[in-house]
Amino acid sequence: MSALIAVEGLKVAYGDMPVVRDVSLEVRQGEAVAVIGPNGAGKTTLFKAIAGMLKPRGGKILYRGARIDGLRHCDTVKRGVVYVPAERELFPQMTVLENLELGAYTNYKSRRERLEFVLRLFPRLAERRSQMAGTLSGGEQQMLAVGRGLMTRPSILLLDEPSTGLAPLFVSELYRQLSRLKEEGLTILLAEQQVPHALSFTERAYVLENGAIRLFGKSKDLLGDPEIQRTYLGVA
Amino acid sequence: MNRNRYLADYVTLLIVAVVLALVPLGVGGSAYYLRIATLMLIYMAYAVAFNIIFGHTRQLFLCIGALAGSSAYLSVVLVTKGSLPPWATIPLGIVFAALLGGVFSYVSVRRGLGVIFVGIVTLVFSLIFHNLILGLRELTNGETGIETRGLGAAALESGRGSYYVILAVLMACLVVYHLLMRSRAGMAFRAIADDEIAAELAGIDVTSYKVLAASVGSALVGAVGAVYAYYSGFINPTVYALVSVDIVVLITLLLGGMGTLLGPVLGGVLFAVLDELVRPLGRLNVLVYGVLMIVLVITFRHGLVAALRKIAKVRIP
Amino acid sequence: MIAILVDGIVQGLQLSLMAVGITLIYGLGGVLNLAHGQFAVVGGITTALFIGEGMNPLAACALGVVSAGVLGLAVDRTVLVPAYRSAGEERLLLGLLITLGLSFVVNGYLDYKYPNIALTIRLATPSFNVVGITIRTASAVVALIAIVAFVLLFAFLKGTLLGKVIRSVIQNEVGAGLCGIDPGRIRTLIVTLSAMMAGLGGVAQGLFSSLGTEMGNELTSFALIVAVVGGVRSINGTLAAGVLLGIVNAFASYFVGAYLTLIILLGTAVFTILLRPAGLFAYRT
Repeated sequence: MSALIAVEGLKVAYGDMPVVRDVSLEVRQGEAVAVIGPNGAGKTTLFKAIAGMLKPRGGKILYRGARIDGLRHCDTVKRGVVYVPAERELFPQMTVLENLELGAYTNYKSRRERLEFVLRLFPRLAERRSQMAGTLSGGEQQMLAVGRGLMTRPSILLLDEPSTGLAPLFVSELYRQLSRLKEEGLTILLAEQQVPHALSFTERAYVLENGAIRLFGKSKDLLGDPEIQRTYLGVA
Repeated sequence: MNRNRYLADYVTLLIVAVVLALVPLGVGGSAYYLRIATLMLIYMAYAVAFNIIFGHTRQLFLCIGALAGSSAYLSVVLVTKGSLPPWATIPLGIVFAALLGGVFSYVSVRRGLGVIFVGIVTLVFSLIFHNLILGLRELTNGETGIETRGLGAAALESGRGSYYVILAVLMACLVVYHLLMRSRAGMAFRAIADDEIAAELAGIDVTSYKVLAASVGSALVGAVGAVYAYYSGFINPTVYALVSVDIVVLITLLLGGMGTLLGPVLGGVLFAVLDELVRPLGRLNVLVYGVLMIVLVITFRHGLVAALRKIAKVRIP
Repeated sequence: MIAILVDGIVQGLQLSLMAVGITLIYGLGGVLNLAHGQFAVVGGITTALFIGEGMNPLAACALGVVSAGVLGLAVDRTVLVPAYRSAGEERLLLGLLITLGLSFVVNGYLDYKYPNIALTIRLATPSFNVVGITIRTASAVVALIAIVAFVLLFAFLKGTLLGKVIRSVIQNEVGAGLCGIDPGRIRTLIVTLSAMMAGLGGVAQGLFSSLGTEMGNELTSFALIVAVVGGVRSINGTLAAGVLLGIVNAFASYFVGAYLTLIILLGTAVFTILLRPAGLFAYRT
């Protein structure tokens, strides 16, 4: 099966400072892949580059075999690459429903059925459909952000640290819903600091440190790797 | 070591003083060109002051004209209504302007107002000033203005004499600028302009330094404004309007280069030349200034000094 | 007393009309349009000139508004591009300085083409009586224009997809991008819309008193004051603040005279900035 997203030799820098150095990875259709690593490793930068929000200094990003690294962000969304940032970036003075509606902007005709789908997936959002997004709790905002991303029927969802600021109960619930999405066939690329969740949810994972891939392989294997256990799982 | 660093500045100041001092001779007997040269000095001095306020501490005071006018009107009104001599009232005008500027700065920093709001507040102050002058008609003669000839500032009434008095004021401004920038305040300014939050974290008292910059700058503005009042022979609200002072100062600094010693001077020369070239266009000159401002802000933001530094690879002050 | 109140409300509506444009453009990441009054003057003068040529007033008004809009469109696509390319404080400064320069460009041109112009839009019947109160027709027309404009604006922003898209770009430009919305095109739309609102404000000004080049800066300042008091990011707040300040203006003018009133208004703006920079009616976030 060929890769849905293939990144080859990507280099991204802020001014003179390189943040992503020569990263190559791939995500195949229907897979869930994790990118784990410490703070400042470059995960967000990597994701933003794939989404088209940052211009890389070098390397290629391929989506279904075609290069997307020159495209504007709004165009990558139209192609089906949707990015959900850690900061969520919701519209605070609009209702949950309006936020979701806008998520369907590039696929507006099918918004009603997508809305049903998302609200079934996140019943809590259905309850609060007329509430202002700015008044939701952290966990609900995260759900809304993911829900909004789903509205356009994406081919791949780039989730950046979805568990940020969430209570453990919410994190479990979120990953339950993500599993359901995976069952529906959604391709997911996930960046996480919550390593156990990330590794048990995904099939494969890449370890990003200091802008470069240090390790990669099957998530199961990485879970069992003693070094990973020491660095990320706090196991002595 | 230290002396060497400031040598460039001293030499520059000397050269500027000498060159400018020679201008009246170069101009021959033409009263017209002498007047233009004198105005050029005035605008250079305004620009030096604005350089301190905006160029170094990013406080967008869109009220230079109003500050100058506040000082000027205070001084002139005290002379005409209070029968005080100009040399006594000009310092009062300076202090008044400094106080105003300092208060604007203090309140803005305290309330954490960004550049935009400082701009709005000062713009509103310009309006308040304009309407106050018009409203206090008994004191200020409203739109018509006040004649300042024969009020006692004799030194500012002769052609050549005025030029040199005003040149002295300009040099004083430049010297104040130089001393300020080489003091600890100058270092603080650089840090603040670079990254205000980092400066605060590093222990720099951002409030005090910003207020200092605003006060000193405003004081200089007040001095120039008051001196100009007696030089020009009359004052009215238009003389100190936004379109008369602020836009000229902005263009001058954009042309010359903010945050530099020579910037206001070079910018002033360029602007004076430009003004003359544009004079035959009559009322269209405002349009030219507007276009120039837009073009400069977009393409030539760092000014002539920065461009010269790059070309000559010499650290021009 | 009631006559003063009515006058105040109408004046307030005109102020709101001007201020709403400022709020819309400020939502684009803090670009403060200091040339806003110039859009108004262009709209008003165009209308007045065409009425003077004998054109039907409604058509002339539409033409005036459209001309203001076209100017706004042109400005957005050309001169504001460098501001949009930057972000944060640099965008603030660039936007401010560029529009300041623009205001001088328009002023300079108008002064040159139409020196000493002072146009008024005259109506057939100067005033009429309602319940014993004499109302200037001009006031009624301005109120009507403003109310219709605001109702349409609100309906557009709340009800249509495009309106929601505009609100989304104003509330969170990054978030809008994540939904696949092209902020650039929306920005152009917002600037054009804002310029058209300003054009309407200019027509209102022409109806009330006279239009001249120098009105431009004055209109900008008033629009700024109202926008600041109402909250530069809140459209509802702008409407409320405009009416409020209009009423204050009317009563204060009656009791203490024009200059003092102006200072009171300006002082209100300064106080609001100092006490509640987000504006008196802004959302508590």
